[in-house]
Amino acid sequence: MSDKKNNYTTISFRGGGFQFKNNYWISPTVFIVLLLLWHFGSTLGFISNLVLPKPTEVLIAFHDLYVTGDLYLHVGASLKRLILGWTLGTIIGIIIGFAIGLFALVRAGLAPIVAAIFPIPKIALLPLFIIWFGIGELSKINLILFGTLFPTIIATYGAIDNVDRSLIRLGQSFNLSWFSITRKIVFTASLPAILSNMRITAAIAIILIVAAELIAAEKGIGAYIQMAGSLFAIDRLLAGIIILSCMGLIANWLIGLTERKLLKWRNL
Amino acid sequence: MELAVKNVSKTYGNLLVLNKINLKIDEGQIVCVIGPSGCGKSTLLRLIGGLENPDTGSIEARGIPPSDCLNPLTFIFQDFSLLPWRTVEKNISLVLEDHGLSTSNRNEIIRSVLRRTKLTEFSDRWPRELSGGMKQRVGIARALAVNPSVLLMDEPLSALDSQTSEILLVDLIELWEKQRFTSVYITHNLSEAIRIGHKIVVMSRRPGEIRETVNIDSEIMDREIRNIELEEHLWNLLRDEAMAAEWELENE
Ligand SMILES: Nc1ncnc2c1ncn2[C@@H]1O[C@H](COP(=O)(O)OP(=O)(O)OP(=O)(O)O)[C@@H](O)[C@H]1O
Ligand SMILES: [Mg+2]
Repeated sequence: MSDKKNNYTTISFRGGGFQFKNNYWISPTVFIVLLLLWHFGSTLGFISNLVLPKPTEVLIAFHDLYVTGDLYLHVGASLKRLILGWTLGTIIGIIIGFAIGLFALVRAGLAPIVAAIFPIPKIALLPLFIIWFGIGELSKINLILFGTLFPTIIATYGAIDNVDRSLIRLGQSFNLSWFSITRKIVFTASLPAILSNMRITAAIAIILIVAAELIAAEKGIGAYIQMAGSLFAIDRLLAGIIILSCMGLIANWLIGLTERKLLKWRNL
Repeated sequence: MELAVKNVSKTYGNLLVLNKINLKIDEGQIVCVIGPSGCGKSTLLRLIGGLENPDTGSIEARGIPPSDCLNPLTFIFQDFSLLPWRTVEKNISLVLEDHGLSTSNRNEIIRSVLRRTKLTEFSDRWPRELSGGMKQRVGIARALAVNPSVLLMDEPLSALDSQTSEILLVDLIELWEKQRFTSVYITHNLSEAIRIGHKIVVMSRRPGEIRETVNIDSEIMDREIRNIELEEHLWNLLRDEAMAAEWELENE
């Protein structure tokens, strides 16, 4: 590595990069800088108040929401629909997914139907659901249920198809019961995929609930945003959007927590 | 327990993998099966263990397993097949849970097999924390836990480095001395077969047939580390088959 034969030179390190250290302070800093830019942009007039109100105004909108009790009303209404629809959709989806994954007959019967319904944008079903279930809660809960059901079914039986066959062989070779193999091997092996699918369906559920509430609701974050929009109250509109972002973050955080608890065998 | 493979053939699709295999495995005997890659050794073992159905012929067992035997035909796998979401202890517990044993009884068995495989300190480890040798010890411990009549081993040491596999081979030999289990032991390592086998079955390339059976009469414990003469004889048997098999695989 050097001109002269007998001269040693240190080999330079080239294995760096492509790795992330935990820089806990970076993202809050970026956040605060953006907030400050926004604040000074608005107060100094670079950003028109018609386009974007000051951050403090958005804060005031939040405050109003809180004081009038509307926050509780709207968030509560949305959460109730979300939690009911998502939980039911997930549970039913996992059950059907398992049936498709484990029984050839069920797969032959249901998999094509699932494949046919899966790509329909579920929001297109809202008018139909309103006719079937009425304008109230039922149509919205069912919409979310439907929207989370199909991705969950597909993710679940996909996960089962991917379970290491040699582990199933192992169970059979020790004469474990069918139920034991299903519960202790197949279910646990597909859990990572099922949990990561939950992140996706949580996002889908939030999209659907907002869309449904924008179209037809008196309560709920979507309805609140819709009202704010029609009044050109951008501060309130932004407050609603921030609430949605928080809901998504909290859902993600909860799923992450569940993953760390249930999948502790995976990470170091 | 004593096993007899009678006239067994097996095809996958159009591929004839095993052709009219006849084999007898006596009580307390280790039968080593060697043969070129792809000749159907693993298939034969799966057939013996009831994980696969023969197209023709049958596999028969004679003798009643002892009453504390939970799983007469028990596998030890080449790739260990441990559940990554269970600790060492729980991996062993897995194969005991379906038998209605009391918890204390189960723990007693687990403690005993961990001691016999020198794993006592590792009972709480996750499989990902273990070296290959340790993983296979868990595989062996798990097999011993059900007190098998016949151990079916498919290249149990071939995923390990040579030092580790030597150590484990000695441990297996000691275990056999104590328990005198019956076993079918598949390997591609000739000297391993000569060390641990009472009988060595040489298979031809696919479609697998039995080419020759060699009996080794000396006590397993007394054997030399190597038996060059026998090794050479077996190698001569295998070489042409192995080369031809290699050629066929490459041209598939
Ligand atoms: N489930 C299966 N379906 C189709 N073909 C199979 C199946 N299992 C094995 N085979 C084929 O049967 C042949 C024998 O396979 P087997 O695994 O028994 O060989 P082997 O002697 O154990 O080989 P190796 O020494 O590489 O382990 C191979 O050609 C393999 O591709
Ligand atoms: Mg094999």
